[in-house]
Amino acid sequence: MNKALKQTGQHEEEAPPFNFPQGMAGFPEAKKFSFIYSGHGDIACMQSVDHPEASLLITLWDENRLGASPSLTREQVSCLNLASGQHPLWMLVLNPFADSAWVTANVRAPVAINMEARIGVQCIQTDPDLELRYHWIPQPDQII
Amino acid sequence: MMVLKRKIGQAFHLGDDIRITVVDVQNGRHVRFGIEAPVEIPVHRMEIYELIQNENRAASDGNALAWFSGNSNEESNNE
Repeated sequence: MNKALKQTGQHEEEAPPFNFPQGMAGFPEAKKFSFIYSGHGDIACMQSVDHPEASLLITLWDENRLGASPSLTREQVSCLNLASGQHPLWMLVLNPFADSAWVTANVRAPVAINMEARIGVQCIQTDPDLELRYHWIPQPDQII
Repeated sequence: MMVLKRKIGQAFHLGDDIRITVVDVQNGRHVRFGIEAPVEIPVHRMEIYELIQNENRAASDGNALAWFSGNSNEESNNE
């Protein structure tokens, strides 16, 4: 997992930002994000280049826990500029502030990223059974 | 709010790039729209989009980077 997060390349200061043509829901004007990864663990931080108040924690989609990653719509494939047969890297937005015991993951709106083209899209799912606040990991101060 | 009256099959434009067509009206209660928009314009049902907007804002809250900075070392220590 660390290897995949390192692929975001933002350890290198000169790495270009990722383009989010649709923005992120709630931050429509934030179109370019840098990924900050410490080199350890499973969590990275994506921060808007132009609107730094838009910063979100992310982690990789875990098929063992969540099953297969979602399917992309034709519009999403086009927006991501994915070639035929090319798969995006799927990530989840984490919320460390909603629950005192858990860091939660938004399974309802994962983020798909074309690593080669450096394009990302938050893919909102219509399935109401997908959790908005999936208990992902215990809060660090809850780990004994 | 601007209110327009349209029949099935008729459309209206939002600017140059977005066209919304009334596809069907079911039981006089449910309206189906066909929406043509550039791929960079996200189209979602309002109640779902607002849910995700609110969750993204709550997850950001201006402190996500500070939380990350404060916990990324701790996270690596727990690996």
